[in-house]
Amino acid sequence: MRDPYSVLGVSQNASDEEIKKAYRELARKYHPDNYQNNPLADLAEEKMKEINEAYEAINKQRSSGGGSYQQSGSNYGGGYQQQSSYSSSTPTYARVRNLINAGDLGTAERLLYEVSQKDGEWYFLSGSIAYRKGWLDEAMQNYTLAVQMDPGNMEYRQALNMLQQRGGGYRPYGYTNTVDGLDCCTTMLCLNCLCGGGNC
Amino acid sequence: MFGYVRPVRQELKCGEFDLYRATYCGLCRCLRRRYGPVAPMFLSYDLTFLALLLWEPEESFQPCSGRCHANPLIKKPMCPSALALDRAADASVILTWWKLKDSQRDDGLVGGMPARALAGVLYPSYHKAAKKWPEFDAMTRICLEELSQREEERCSSIDRTADTFARILQAAVPEGWEQQRILGQLLYHLGRWIYLVDARDDLEEDKKAGRYNPLQVRYGPQGDDDALALTLDQSRVLMGAALQLGEFGCRKPILENIIYLGLPLVERAVFDGSWAQIKKQKIWSNRQ
Repeated sequence: MRDPYSVLGVSQNASDEEIKKAYRELARKYHPDNYQNNPLADLAEEKMKEINEAYEAINKQRSSGGGSYQQSGSNYGGGYQQQSSYSSSTPTYARVRNLINAGDLGTAERLLYEVSQKDGEWYFLSGSIAYRKGWLDEAMQNYTLAVQMDPGNMEYRQALNMLQQRGGGYRPYGYTNTVDGLDCCTTMLCLNCLCGGGNC
Repeated sequence: MFGYVRPVRQELKCGEFDLYRATYCGLCRCLRRRYGPVAPMFLSYDLTFLALLLWEPEESFQPCSGRCHANPLIKKPMCPSALALDRAADASVILTWWKLKDSQRDDGLVGGMPARALAGVLYPSYHKAAKKWPEFDAMTRICLEELSQREEERCSSIDRTADTFARILQAAVPEGWEQQRILGQLLYHLGRWIYLVDARDDLEEDKKAGRYNPLQVRYGPQGDDDALALTLDQSRVLMGAALQLGEFGCRKPILENIIYLGLPLVERAVFDGSWAQIKKQKIWSNRQ
């Protein structure tokens, strides 16, 4: 295992408060919400696991050393299992879900197109396939139809909300909402003098 | 290429700006060494981004300098030779070539004359680049053929048309490359973003010329900037999510600057029409 301090990006002499802050920032970055249905979700999950383990290891070390550690109980985790907690209404849909999770979009799509009755879940799954491919406009259209057909379903609603949220996702400190604070004209001018152009 | 992918200078630290410039100049030198005097034709900010992205993660950057091609009397900070620069240079030549071919086809027999003349000049470079990286050349050709098919059938899905272009950029990560999945996902959405922003930029012109524009077919003749902004935003969020999973060492702040600040600004300028103006006044200003 990597040194837990370097996993969190802090020095060995960092205070408990600094460690907590670093942990929180990383957990915010790799939070399952940011990687829902993302083809890279497995990599984010690994990162999250590594961070959780590092944080726990440091806390353990420090508490056994008589430090000022208090049980925080604020570990983020488990969120990545969320996906499987939803159940499908038919065995075909269950198979499609598994295929999507495994990244086999071609087979998932074929299987889905064999279903003749298109209900809310059909459109939801169709939207999920589109999302996985990066086809965000089609994903939005399909999720919208799914919510219209089955307004009470929280899973469909959540998926649609995630897509409708502007400025969603993680942004590092210093990049949050800065764009609106920048004056477009002057910024663009600066951007233009970049590099002395093609003369170099 | 298009020049949409660039950092916001005032938000870069001095060292980061130096590194960006050294990469740009390094790419220019690399192009010159590989493709001779026509090299500056291939140089772009977009491909500088690719070079930064493909570079092996390094903790710190050791600047070294080289003589500038345009003015050999001065020395400029330049990145040393690297595989990332070679790949970006080859990709640059291949993309420029196919873009030229594309405009030749669009502009017809008479209008396409300048493009054809230029193609004659650039052919040897293209031939060389395609030999160095045949997979990328093949992918670009296949995807552009698909794209023109979509255009002919006046495809109403912006995702499907953008997908053809996005897959080209996705292929700009060589097979077996470190972090291939992460970089591929990032570049896919960069390609999608570039294609859609370019379509928005061309909306008026295409309307006048009666040419196909995916946004017009999807949203109607006036387009729909709110809907488009939302989907572009999602692509940028996915680029950011991919970026955060990779290791980029000292280049990460520049990449973050480009994705979180540069792209939204350019997008906004394209939307409010100031981009065309800025494009005209600018790019090769002489300020050092």
